[in-house]
Amino acid sequence: MDQTRYQSRIRNFSIIAHVDHGKSTLADRLIESTHTVESRNMRAQLLDTLELERERGITIKLVPVRMTYVAGDGESYILNLIDTPGHVDFNYEVSRSLAACEGAVLVIDAAQGVEAQTVANAYLAVEQNLDLIPVFNKIDLPSAQPERAAREIEEVIGLDASRAVLASAKDGTGIDEILARIVTDIRPPDGDRGAPLSALIFDSVYDNYRGVISYVRVVDGELRARKEISFMATGDVREVEEVGVFTPSMRQVESLGPGEVGYIVAGIKSLEDAGVGDTITDARNPAPAPLPGYRKVKPVVFCGYYPIEREEINALRDALEKLRINDSAITFEPESSAALGFGFRCGFLGLLHMEIAKERLFREFDVELVATAPNVIYQVRLSSGGVIEAHRPSDFPSDPTRQEEVLEPFIRVTLFLPDGYVGPCIQLCQEKRGTYTGMDYITPERVRLVYDLPLAEFILDFHDKLKSMTRGYASLDYEHIGYRTSDLVKVDILIQEEPVDAFSFICHRSAAYHRGHSVATKLKELIPRQLFEVPIQAAIGKKVIVRVNVKALRKDVLAKCYGGDITRKRKLLEKQKEGKKRMKQVGRVSIPQEAFMAFMDVSGGDE
Amino acid sequence: MSEAASVYLHVPFCLSKCPYCAFASAAACEGDWEIYLRAASSEMERRAPEAGPLETLYAGGGTPSVLSPGAWGGLIESIEKFFEFSDAPEVTIEANPGSLTKEHLTLWRGWRVNRVSLGVQSLDDGELAALGRLHSASQAAEAALMCLSAGFSVSLDLMFGLPGTPDDLRGWAGTLRRAVALGPHHISVYQLCIEPGTPFGAAYADAPRASDGYVPYRYAQWLLPRLGYEQYEVASFALPGHESAHNLNYWYDGSYIGIGPSAWSCVGGVRSKNASRLRDYAEALAQGHAPTDYAERIEGEAAARQAAVLALRTRRGINWRRFRARYGEAFADAIRKDLENIPGDLASTDEFSASLSKKGLRLGNAIWANII
Repeated sequence: MDQTRYQSRIRNFSIIAHVDHGKSTLADRLIESTHTVESRNMRAQLLDTLELERERGITIKLVPVRMTYVAGDGESYILNLIDTPGHVDFNYEVSRSLAACEGAVLVIDAAQGVEAQTVANAYLAVEQNLDLIPVFNKIDLPSAQPERAAREIEEVIGLDASRAVLASAKDGTGIDEILARIVTDIRPPDGDRGAPLSALIFDSVYDNYRGVISYVRVVDGELRARKEISFMATGDVREVEEVGVFTPSMRQVESLGPGEVGYIVAGIKSLEDAGVGDTITDARNPAPAPLPGYRKVKPVVFCGYYPIEREEINALRDALEKLRINDSAITFEPESSAALGFGFRCGFLGLLHMEIAKERLFREFDVELVATAPNVIYQVRLSSGGVIEAHRPSDFPSDPTRQEEVLEPFIRVTLFLPDGYVGPCIQLCQEKRGTYTGMDYITPERVRLVYDLPLAEFILDFHDKLKSMTRGYASLDYEHIGYRTSDLVKVDILIQEEPVDAFSFICHRSAAYHRGHSVATKLKELIPRQLFEVPIQAAIGKKVIVRVNVKALRKDVLAKCYGGDITRKRKLLEKQKEGKKRMKQVGRVSIPQEAFMAFMDVSGGDE
Repeated sequence: MSEAASVYLHVPFCLSKCPYCAFASAAACEGDWEIYLRAASSEMERRAPEAGPLETLYAGGGTPSVLSPGAWGGLIESIEKFFEFSDAPEVTIEANPGSLTKEHLTLWRGWRVNRVSLGVQSLDDGELAALGRLHSASQAAEAALMCLSAGFSVSLDLMFGLPGTPDDLRGWAGTLRRAVALGPHHISVYQLCIEPGTPFGAAYADAPRASDGYVPYRYAQWLLPRLGYEQYEVASFALPGHESAHNLNYWYDGSYIGIGPSAWSCVGGVRSKNASRLRDYAEALAQGHAPTDYAERIEGEAAARQAAVLALRTRRGINWRRFRARYGEAFADAIRKDLENIPGDLASTDEFSASLSKKGLRLGNAIWANII
């Protein structure tokens, strides 16, 4: 077939949707209808390959698939579906997918209407100049209101709803129409086979036998085996060993031309050498400039991972290294804690990402761990002029007068919610130190509310509170909007006059008393009475703001001990001593492990 | 083999089992007494070579007074046959107000008994009923007066921390004052322990955490010394000269021979325990075996630390000169160092001795856990 004609038969597209709006089921239907996978091999959510993905019904990693479709004009088309994750934590993966496409199918649950991530993902697609096909899914549901959904996409996103497809991925309605529209509404890729090679790496995975397998989208030129290629970001030169396409299993082909999506194997041993977003070009005839990549994602939420068994620290390190091969967004570095020993400070894109990583470590690598409460990175400007990146309270200067100001990361949160919940949601955002940014009625019953929130407050328990407050009817999306100044203080907890690092925390000055009091009170319950009174104080610098006392023991003796009791008594005392040994000594005070654990448990991680 | 100068004789019978009791005791069945008397006599014969002239003998239980005077005659005969006594031994028998008779006292008095320990527990009829005791407060008072007028040195056992009203100071204060008014020589105060495996254990398993017993215990520590009863040990108060020599021997890590089912012995550094069931105990002896079912030898630092803990139960505490001589310099110094970390209002230690204050005695477990 003529190369230009071949290229004109390619369509590269993604499916984008709010979580649970039926994206994966729709993808399965498209694959089924094009007989890409024989129906006896079909299983629900074909593209979600991680066990965890299928279990949680969400997509985390991208999987491309190539379908062949015979259109109404009698011609065969190659449809490359590049799947996208639906959760806001994985927004960057969406932008990666979209960069490899010319179009997108925007799926909207006809019963739910437009949700926060519908909008966020649609905007991402519009920004990348993709051709959009709106699909109202689940129209078989009695509660489906396609007219309302139509109104919403016109008003909120500005799409022409008259072109929307009514579909039900569940019963197959509209699937043919969607396939037909992919051919007619999405433009074929442009690109020149004669031009110097340029291909975008949109994902990489590590295979134990073949090394790194890079998922690529060719823009210009041609990729084939034995070609010498170079990676434009690193300058690394390699010979291509194999090129292929996804059916969705990998199938070797001779070459990949402009507009084609596939994979290459080039003897690369480390994922860092095949960076996602990098451009591959011809080593002898390089392209003049790399393709526009996409914003590099940086972890924003951090927590400590500690093995439950202290000896397992090396197993945890190995597991994290392997996990990072498949999930380059994770960062980790060693740290140690008074209570938990040695572990790693890990960075994630969000709470779900953090939770997923923890579960993958357990399931795939059999490592059980304790995760500390998530936190963010603060920037502390010192009066002397320097700036400290504070990952933990102990990074703050011990003398608060040395700090000029503290900055913390903020996010802009967009909430979609039924109008009846506006009051409580505004109150929640205010409590979380939010700044009101805007509100509009997208339909008479549905409100879009926009707030700027400190990320630290958001990761604490915002999502849980929002869900319970709105009975799950609110949806949210957020974007990072950089660092802003806040009146933050480091609160130290002193036990019998000695500061204990593990209990220090950072909070807004106005909340210092309240939180200091609750920490001190909780410690008072968890620290057993000792032979003497133990004061627990919360202090900002030298200024004590809270004091509670663990009263001294009054009586700890059972009266009698005669000849027959001696052995039993000794064993009881030995037990009591063992119990004390397991506690951490701070000065003369014994603090049980549970007290440290109580301040480290992850909260609000399950979404 | 070092010679023991103390014998404990366990009488494993009661009229009925108290609902809080975890001791080896039971209401006797037909023929049990004979089995017991024969077996105890046989054990005395076995053990006699380990004993020197006895300084103390203590018959406890169970309830020694449920044995009839006739049966007691048999026991006394065996004891006299197999053991020698020193010039002025302390011989104590435990008795319950419900089963003690004048005949017992006459018999005991005619033998060597000079001390009776009465299981009074409470002098409040409501509390006694709640404890499942078979006697009334006035029966208890009568028994005490009977013992006193017979010329015995009398000790009363009293119990606080009763379920339901663990901190009821009125009930406890009433019992203490009535007890003191009877004029005993010695008072032991016990906190009721809810033991698993007893009816109380089952009944109160889910009860909210028991009171620490501070209030009634502190009250006893305050009241009794004012009336002449010095606290010489965690649970023990006595008029001068009436401390229990038998019990002090336990606390100063002395040797003792235990006779009877479930009785513990400590001779030559080995602590051992007899089988608890009468049948097992008697069976072993009949076949010429030792009736023990547990033994341990504590040596070196562990022995020194255990001895220190025991000695610190007493107000006199540790005498370093004797302690060093017996357990060695190094261990004595290590223990002394540990004691120096205890706040000064709880424990005092100097070059001669170490002891706990009254406040320290209240916190015994928390302190001893640092030195065991």
